[in-house]
Amino acid sequence: MIREFYILVSMVLFLVGFVAVHYLTHNNISSNEILCSVSKITNISSPSLSVTFYEPRILFFDEAVNPAYPQMDAIDKMDFIYDK
Amino acid sequence: MINKISSSAFLHFLTLLLFKQKGKHIGAFLISVMIIFLLSSVLFISSSLQNSLLSTLENQADFTVSRVQAGRAVNTPIKWIDKILEIDGVSNVSPRVYGRYFFTPRGKSFLVVGIDFFDEQNSKTLKSLVETIDLKSFLSTDNMIVGRGVKSFLSEHYYRDYFSFKTPKGSFKKVKIYQTLSSKSDLIANDMIIMPIDLAREIFALAEDEVTDISFNVPNDAEWDNIITKLHLLFYDVRVIEKREVKKAYENLYNYKGGVFLILYLIAIVTFILILYQRYSMTYSTDRKEIGILRAIGWSIKDILKLKFFENLIIVVISFVFGVTLAYIYVFILQAPLLSQIFLGGANLSNSVVFTPLLDYGVLVSIFLFYAIPFLSAVLIPAWKIAVIPPKEAML
Repeated sequence: MIREFYILVSMVLFLVGFVAVHYLTHNNISSNEILCSVSKITNISSPSLSVTFYEPRILFFDEAVNPAYPQMDAIDKMDFIYDK
Repeated sequence: MINKISSSAFLHFLTLLLFKQKGKHIGAFLISVMIIFLLSSVLFISSSLQNSLLSTLENQADFTVSRVQAGRAVNTPIKWIDKILEIDGVSNVSPRVYGRYFFTPRGKSFLVVGIDFFDEQNSKTLKSLVETIDLKSFLSTDNMIVGRGVKSFLSEHYYRDYFSFKTPKGSFKKVKIYQTLSSKSDLIANDMIIMPIDLAREIFALAEDEVTDISFNVPNDAEWDNIITKLHLLFYDVRVIEKREVKKAYENLYNYKGGVFLILYLIAIVTFILILYQRYSMTYSTDRKEIGILRAIGWSIKDILKLKFFENLIIVVISFVFGVTLAYIYVFILQAPLLSQIFLGGANLSNSVVFTPLLDYGVLVSIFLFYAIPFLSAVLIPAWKIAVIPPKEAML
């Protein structure tokens, strides 16, 4: 095998090693604990969606209503996917 | 063993060929890296969000009930709590007061959540969330804890220490910003304002006998369907939301967005494979000549297929590793700028969520197979077609 190939393989191994080290040493527990504390205290587990005022912010509990056309369903209404 | 591999004539020829013709492979490599990077990024984001949301759901109440009027949720009478408590098997009944506060001048909104801090469990959880909090001083005046998105928005609008809420009655309520939540809570609490329940009630002008909704637990899940029936018999204008429904929604939440990207991936990969197939099948291509020469000097069809297989397998593996690693760095280290907005939106306060690293090995293997098999077939089939014809004809 030629030298360039060894260099390429070393680069690939370095990338795999980098991902493995980051993945194994990342403190997932503290992130999840904080999220769980927030959801425990507020009783809200919905993601903080950056949506306009008339789109649902808390999934399932909010309803999308366009202030100009309150009778019109929102364009993101997807009961068929959520299987409500 | 390693010495034997490194001195193998076949491997030497293979790697030499690979680097001598790098111009030929660089295009396929770059397109492959781009396709794999995009697909992996989307799948990393959706699986990380899904996993974080499902873990927070563990602490949620099993049921939430609210009153409906004309098909819409309205404020729920607090006396419903006593009626719910009468149902056997029900525990932890608690009222919830929350709602969105619209900041008219900028057209942005915050999620205001009222909490009963006199509840021992709540005060304990708050202390674990905000370690420096002194509950006595927090409750002595009108204070609130805000998410990072709210804090930066208010600071931009010169509300550095306090914010004046305009109540539906027309009066103003000045509330001090006590603390900002950690960046690790942004996924749920970026636009959130946490305050005492009575203060939230005042801001939304809720009557003392009203709450937004009521949540409760039913520890025996075999009783869940029975409880729903009992609730519908107790109240005629009730909407019951179960935790299992919410869980199902979270499982499907980003599937359609992931699905859209999967369709785009399929279109891109089919186009790419067609181009590759076309390149190898071209009548006057250099690959035809190369195979013809190898056949002429005595290589068997099997040897040629072996060479082409390993040559392209190296490209497939290397581009896969590069694509996945770039996607990992982009999502879990750079926190997916631009792409995260597709999942979390960008119409309200800007949210810079910290994605929790999560590698779904099943998904990675599927991406590899869906990419490697068509890629290798697009090269090997035309190579075999050329290898079986006489070398003289192939070189023409």
